[in-house]
Amino acid sequence: MKRTSVPACALALALLALPGSCPGGDAVPDPESPEFAAYVMNRIDDQYRGERSHGVMEMHVKTVHWERTISLEAWSLGKDFSLVRILSPKKDRGTATLKAESDLFTFLAKTGKTIKITEGMMGGSWMGSHFTNDDLVKHTRLSEDYDIEKVYSGEASGTMIHRFKLVPKPDAPVVWGKIVVSVRQLDLQPLRQLFYDEDGKEVRVLKFSEHSEIEGRIVPRKMVMKPLDGSGEYTQVLWKEIDFDVDIDKGFFSVQKLKSL
Amino acid sequence: MGVFKMAWRNVWRSRRRSLVTVAAMTVALFVEIHHTSLIDGYVAGAERNILDLEMGDVQIFAQGYRDDPSLYAMIGDEEEIIAALRTRGFGASARLLGAGLAAAGDTSAGVMLRGIDVDRDARVSAVGRHVLEGRWLDPGDPRGIVVGRKLARTLAVGPGDEVVMLTQGADGSMANDLYIVRGVLKSIGEGVDRAGVYMTEAAFRDLLVMPRGVHQIVVRRPAGMDLEAATAVVRDLAPDLDVESWTQLMPTLSSMFESLRGVMATVYFIIFMAVGIVILNAMLMSVFERIREFGVLKALGTGPGGVMKLILAESMIQTVLAVAAGCLLSIPSIWYLSVKGIDMGKIGGLSIYGIAWDPVLRFAVHASTYLGPVVALVAIVGIAVLYPALKAALIRPVEAMHHH
Repeated sequence: MKRTSVPACALALALLALPGSCPGGDAVPDPESPEFAAYVMNRIDDQYRGERSHGVMEMHVKTVHWERTISLEAWSLGKDFSLVRILSPKKDRGTATLKAESDLFTFLAKTGKTIKITEGMMGGSWMGSHFTNDDLVKHTRLSEDYDIEKVYSGEASGTMIHRFKLVPKPDAPVVWGKIVVSVRQLDLQPLRQLFYDEDGKEVRVLKFSEHSEIEGRIVPRKMVMKPLDGSGEYTQVLWKEIDFDVDIDKGFFSVQKLKSL
Repeated sequence: MGVFKMAWRNVWRSRRRSLVTVAAMTVALFVEIHHTSLIDGYVAGAERNILDLEMGDVQIFAQGYRDDPSLYAMIGDEEEIIAALRTRGFGASARLLGAGLAAAGDTSAGVMLRGIDVDRDARVSAVGRHVLEGRWLDPGDPRGIVVGRKLARTLAVGPGDEVVMLTQGADGSMANDLYIVRGVLKSIGEGVDRAGVYMTEAAFRDLLVMPRGVHQIVVRRPAGMDLEAATAVVRDLAPDLDVESWTQLMPTLSSMFESLRGVMATVYFIIFMAVGIVILNAMLMSVFERIREFGVLKALGTGPGGVMKLILAESMIQTVLAVAAGCLLSIPSIWYLSVKGIDMGKIGGLSIYGIAWDPVLRFAVHASTYLGPVVALVAIVGIAVLYPALKAALIRPVEAMHHH
């Protein structure tokens, strides 16, 4: 299974910090104006700031060699704090990941041990998926690390979209050669992110779908991450329950809590 | 008077010069015998060390494993291959290989997991006898693992301590379990020292959810069989698999051994060049000193051949003395160095290309250890003496007798 990392915004937002567009009060610039592209990216970057959430999701991973579905319960506080634990299968039940700012811990239920994920393990798979540990903690901001250009506005597969081309700034700490981001015109929710390597080859695609409204927020309930290496492998995350009205604070995201869950 | 008798007397007439010449030859021979023995012993010891601890003579992998070491690139019919190899006198043992993470206390490190058939592996590998602290694996103790030296230091663990192993099972599950360090290895090689974790085959299969198949078969050839011939036999037995001899797997190392032998030949040449010049000088001096004598000999009817024979006989006598002295002096010290060896560990230990050498360097003894340097010495003396001998043989009697 090949793994490459995606920017945190793609994962931390969509996976650990539950997705949902904030009711932004600021005025949206005209789509043809030069500020529009930066505005959309900023919105994606800041979408979940300060958000509290709790939910249950199903992660389905398919690789060349195996296929499995795990059920996960997740809590999050903004982008920086999250806790995810496995509900099923039984063998892995209780195994959990804690993200507290840039630190990552794994609690292994079978052995009762907590392991801090060190630098050398960041490239490893997160819970067997196509996401890396790094995907969870990396702080990249689309609006700061990339030069953004709107390349298309119009219809695609029956939806009105805006499409942006993101090219990393020369000194940006990113691994991609290019990212193409598509958002729907309706509410500027991301639909698709296509990642290219430095040779201009498509490497992986992240798709968001099944947007629905929950407690006044628009949430893409389904996210699929697919490496484009012809292997047919993918990781799909489907939110079963989402609740934004939860009473948790930073203290919840501690190693002690991780162990006691 | 016979040529030999005359030569013998001539040698002892100028005792000091003869002794210096014989001493130079003796020292050169002594040094060369030791040098040959040292390099042979070093190369043989290093090879044995690598083959015993790490490589075996030949390794078998599934096609493509070496390019992309995946848990799924397995050899499925290992039992048949091992059985077939054994009936042909080979030693063979299968290993399971995987990557994972080991954690102890607050530290963690990436590790290479090796699941081995403990009893069978002992017949192809000496790694089990290289335990620094604690004990080697025991099939009856599946929780027990043995770790590399530097890894033990990184994780700050020793025998009896707990280590959590975390990896991904072949079925995609979050494979993790708790193990107890049974032993810490001596220095084996950079890879094993830094990241090696040995566990029993059963423990590996259980952790990684791999009920069957193996990743590697380590093969030892029967005594006396040539490496290439052995590799060919293994290839025939496992035509669909990737079969490589250790020289193919570690080309840098095997070419380093080759180049060491080249270095030996060069040093040989340099030392004997120097000895050749000493002999040339000594013989030239003895010829010039006796030019009048040779004139008289020739005037008395000795032909050029006779004079030449005389000179050659003189140097032959000196060479024989030197060979006898050089060999006799070498025998006890070579015996001592080949049996006891030199403990390099005390000097600081040896590690080259990431492979830890046996700290005791033992010299090697073969017939060629003595024969090679002796033949080289005789050849160089023969060349060095040619010019003075010809000079004396072709001397003109009248001029020679007027020589002062």
